[in-house]
Amino acid sequence: MSLRRFTRTPEAVAGVVVLALLAIMALAAPFLFPGDPQSIAGPALVRPFQDWAFPLGTDRLGRDVLAELFHGARTSLAVGLAAAAASLAIGTIVGTLAGFAGGIVDEILMRITDAFQTVPGFLLALAFVSVVGPSLGVVVIAIALSAWTGPARVARAEVLSIRERDYVASARVAGMHPLAIAFREVMPNALPPVLALSSVMVAGAILTEAALSFLGLGDPNRVTWGGMIAEGRAVLRTAPFLSIAPGVMLVFTVLGVYLAGEGIVENSAVKRGLA
Amino acid sequence: MPQFILSRRTLMTASAALLASTALPSIARAQASGGRLVVAADSEPPNLNPAIVASNGVFFVASKVVEPLAEAAYDGKDGLAPRLAVSWEGAADGLSATFKLREGVKWHDGKPFTSADVAFSALQVWKPLQNLGRTIFKDLVAVDTPDELTAVFKFGKPTPFQLIRNALPVVTSVVPKHIYETGKIEDNPANIAPIGTGPFKFAEHKAGQYYRLTKNEDYWGENQPLLDEIIYQVLPDRAAAASALEAEEIHLAAFSAVPLADLDRISKVPGLQVVTKGYEGLTYQLVVEINHRRKELADLKVRQAIAHAIDKDFVVKTVFLGYAAAATGPVPKNDPQFYTPDVETYPFDVAKANALLDEAGYAKGADGKRFTLKLLPAPYFNETKQFGDYLRQALAAIGIDAQLVNNDSAAHQKAVYTEHAFDLAVGPPVFRGDPAISTTILVQSGIPDGVPFSNQGGYKNEELDAIIEKASETLDASARTELYKEFQKKVAADLPLINVAEWSFISVARDSVKNIANNPRWAVSNWADTAVEV
Amino acid sequence: MNRALRLLRRRLVGSVFVLLIVVVGTFFLLEAAPGDAVDAYIGSIGGDAGLAELLRQRWGLDQSTGTRLAAYLWALLHLDLGHSVAFSRPIRDILLERLPNTLLLMGSATALSFFLGSALGIVAGARPGSFRDRFLSIGSLALYAVPGFWLALVLVIVFAVDLRWFPIAGIETIASGKTGLARAADIIHHLVLPVTALGFIYLALYLRMMRAGMAEVWRQDFVLALRARGIPRRRIVLAHVARNALLPLVTMLGLQSAQMLGGSVVIESVFSVPGLGRLAQEAVTARDTPLLLGIILISAVLVVVINLLVDLAYAFLDPRVGASEAGA
Repeated sequence: MSLRRFTRTPEAVAGVVVLALLAIMALAAPFLFPGDPQSIAGPALVRPFQDWAFPLGTDRLGRDVLAELFHGARTSLAVGLAAAAASLAIGTIVGTLAGFAGGIVDEILMRITDAFQTVPGFLLALAFVSVVGPSLGVVVIAIALSAWTGPARVARAEVLSIRERDYVASARVAGMHPLAIAFREVMPNALPPVLALSSVMVAGAILTEAALSFLGLGDPNRVTWGGMIAEGRAVLRTAPFLSIAPGVMLVFTVLGVYLAGEGIVENSAVKRGLA
Repeated sequence: MPQFILSRRTLMTASAALLASTALPSIARAQASGGRLVVAADSEPPNLNPAIVASNGVFFVASKVVEPLAEAAYDGKDGLAPRLAVSWEGAADGLSATFKLREGVKWHDGKPFTSADVAFSALQVWKPLQNLGRTIFKDLVAVDTPDELTAVFKFGKPTPFQLIRNALPVVTSVVPKHIYETGKIEDNPANIAPIGTGPFKFAEHKAGQYYRLTKNEDYWGENQPLLDEIIYQVLPDRAAAASALEAEEIHLAAFSAVPLADLDRISKVPGLQVVTKGYEGLTYQLVVEINHRRKELADLKVRQAIAHAIDKDFVVKTVFLGYAAAATGPVPKNDPQFYTPDVETYPFDVAKANALLDEAGYAKGADGKRFTLKLLPAPYFNETKQFGDYLRQALAAIGIDAQLVNNDSAAHQKAVYTEHAFDLAVGPPVFRGDPAISTTILVQSGIPDGVPFSNQGGYKNEELDAIIEKASETLDASARTELYKEFQKKVAADLPLINVAEWSFISVARDSVKNIANNPRWAVSNWADTAVEV
Repeated sequence: MNRALRLLRRRLVGSVFVLLIVVVGTFFLLEAAPGDAVDAYIGSIGGDAGLAELLRQRWGLDQSTGTRLAAYLWALLHLDLGHSVAFSRPIRDILLERLPNTLLLMGSATALSFFLGSALGIVAGARPGSFRDRFLSIGSLALYAVPGFWLALVLVIVFAVDLRWFPIAGIETIASGKTGLARAADIIHHLVLPVTALGFIYLALYLRMMRAGMAEVWRQDFVLALRARGIPRRRIVLAHVARNALLPLVTMLGLQSAQMLGGSVVIESVFSVPGLGRLAQEAVTARDTPLLLGIILISAVLVVVINLLVDLAYAFLDPRVGASEAGA
């Protein structure tokens, strides 16, 4: 029933198909292109579709572009998912605590949230990565730091409406520890609207990671699409393909995430009768 | 309803790039005078006083306003052309050097230029405050001024005049005593709006937008300068310079503001020329710095193996696109005085490198790896970063797993030169015409922590230290040159660091710009004879 | 009016705390960074250990962290933002010089994305599910998925280098001596490309919010009633549906201001616009802590003020909003 509804939205189907393809790329990368994708495989700047050993050509140092794109999918998806998960987790915990505790705790936590929201997110991520030094984990944390406030606000609003409900009152009467009530009873029920943010968070994280890599603030030991664009930029006019290919991958990935996410959210909203 | 939570986006400038000297004839002769020259600038130095900050970023703008005693020249005695000094001579005992100064020179505010200005600059500015002068003039004790046009430098210890002479263009920018003698020199407003004797006067600086210099009508050079105005347009984005040249918004992009990879294309754009001359006096060296505290790297065999693992020709061809030369040792090939090719070389040979490592007792593990190293490429140039990527792959081929650590310049500085938190680093030291200025410091022992571009790898070789010490007191130029040849041999044999390549910069200019690249430090010289054809 | 004043007071008190958190947080973040302003400076010019020590003394970097934070906060109380070591100028002067450029860029880009976005949103939302709707929605999403740095680069190459319709960089023609209207026209000419690049990134946001809002309004009873009465569709769309859907977009304007400031980092770099975004990046690279603090402070104040204005506007537009819901 819901699957049929889902398949009736071609945009959502397209999104899911794109994501599935990307997932396959990411998973297949180590088998199709074993070894280090950054290794120098051939002559530099082979044009695409010229040499079948390198279907998409090679970059300035002679690295196989196709291998880099496949391995880049791994990094982009991994960072996107991890950063989104981290933002959602931080946001939900802060939001739940603030909403459930109320009073001074709420006030303090929300002021901190405000503080994070007043500083331009990208600037914060940029400063954080240049301060701590670029590695995959640091990039994930930086993105999470710049993106957790949205989920925190949504979670708090949801918790505020839930905490007055009967089952919460009865848990209180039963003498449950307030923290236990907050995280076992309230938080799970506050999750759905927060999770609805996932696709936007993942897409945002992928773009942020690309922008950071583009600025030279990505993990230098991994291939990332943003990093490929940054490297290709020096030869943008001479070998535009080197920046176009990873750029197109980024656009498709982000678009796929949005479309699939929207389809899923609409679908589940219909299921819950909220539409 | 899901909101878009965004973050995202950006880009930025990293830095410029490079090359060596091939050559392209600069179209000579002074044509119609007048006009405005617009050039790209990628940075805005906080202090524009070249007497305090002797760096190319400062000279690029300030050398047109504030002049040194002498400038580098392709032909001319000692490779120099006179500027504020018309002649120079070192005493046989190395304890004094006499400069005869130019007559009839006026500061931009109309006051006459005299030997008192030179004495003041040397003792109050170059020696105590200047990044390079602090080393070169460390034994300077007094400057006598017997008359208004003679300055006699007195040294406490014999100082080779060869060194002073080689350093003249870089360390002797003369500032006006009457402007600087009141108040703290570091806080003087003339550090931001310099006053000098040069062909151009400093007119204004609009932060983030441009610098403007205007013609000095009272310049001592006959019929100079030719230009009415020079504008430095601030273009921090690396792609912007090439685009601005193509769109005819600027006339000239020096210091490789146009990326190497774009040169081939841009050289075919009608009306633009790529010029590789004019930087011979500013040679950068691509160097692998080694932390000798790491036990594997303290082993000469391992260092030799790394040297054999690097394909210098590939680096020159691919990283530098041919705009560089493979290095043999710590003095670049294009240096006319000191270079010797007669040193130990390390041809690219992976099998030999592997054999050396086996011999040293670092066998490959089951995963094909011998050991892991931390590799820190310096962030200053695109090419140092790219070479870092290459080196990681070259080391992987001999079973050394190098993990790249990218830092911005402040963090790199701290990690390598203060905290020594590296195993290998890729650095771009500059050869400044004499090994004593900034080259011997790369291998000398006993340098305190925190000195940038110095031996911070814990390397100690008493023989080398002795040669460096002896050369610093040897007055006879040819004996001193011999000592530095010995120095090169020792460095190449013991590999305290590995010299990979030497490069310099490239200019791209519109055809209408005349008389460019006519001296070895052209971009940082005074441009008195530069013209724009209308 | 009274309510608005209460909201204002409450907000101002809250903002002071927020700004304090921002300043102290940023200070410690940069404090944790490896390397200081002297390392960054010396890295670019070279020098010996004595010179580094000399500079640290001159720039006050040899003091303890606590002392410097206290000194900074104390100066801040007197509205003194300190001295930038990277520019060797008072920070207030630098900021006042850059702020108008950023405001101009952000303001124009916001106007572009808001008006064009909501207009296209109305077109899309007029007939939900139509081809036009789907085309616009997906088209705008695709635009939104394009990395900003890429969009900017393409605009430069096409419109500045190849077609030469617009200048490549800067905010106005250098040292042109233009004044008055001629200067304004010159600045507008320079701003077309950066405003387009920055505005288009956020256009999708307003388009989709408008469309989604309208889709919801279409389902409401009063619209059904209007349609039943046979009122022309065009009038329903403009006078009723779009109007009701517009309100949430106004809130978004405030929320977006901080993001817009982040996005302008890229755009200002590509187009060499001397604004706050580019300055911020320079400050991080130069480890110029007081300068970065000044920038963050001024952007935070900007964001707070914009949100306050938006909320006040909102409070007037929609009487249901009470002053108690002053979270954002």
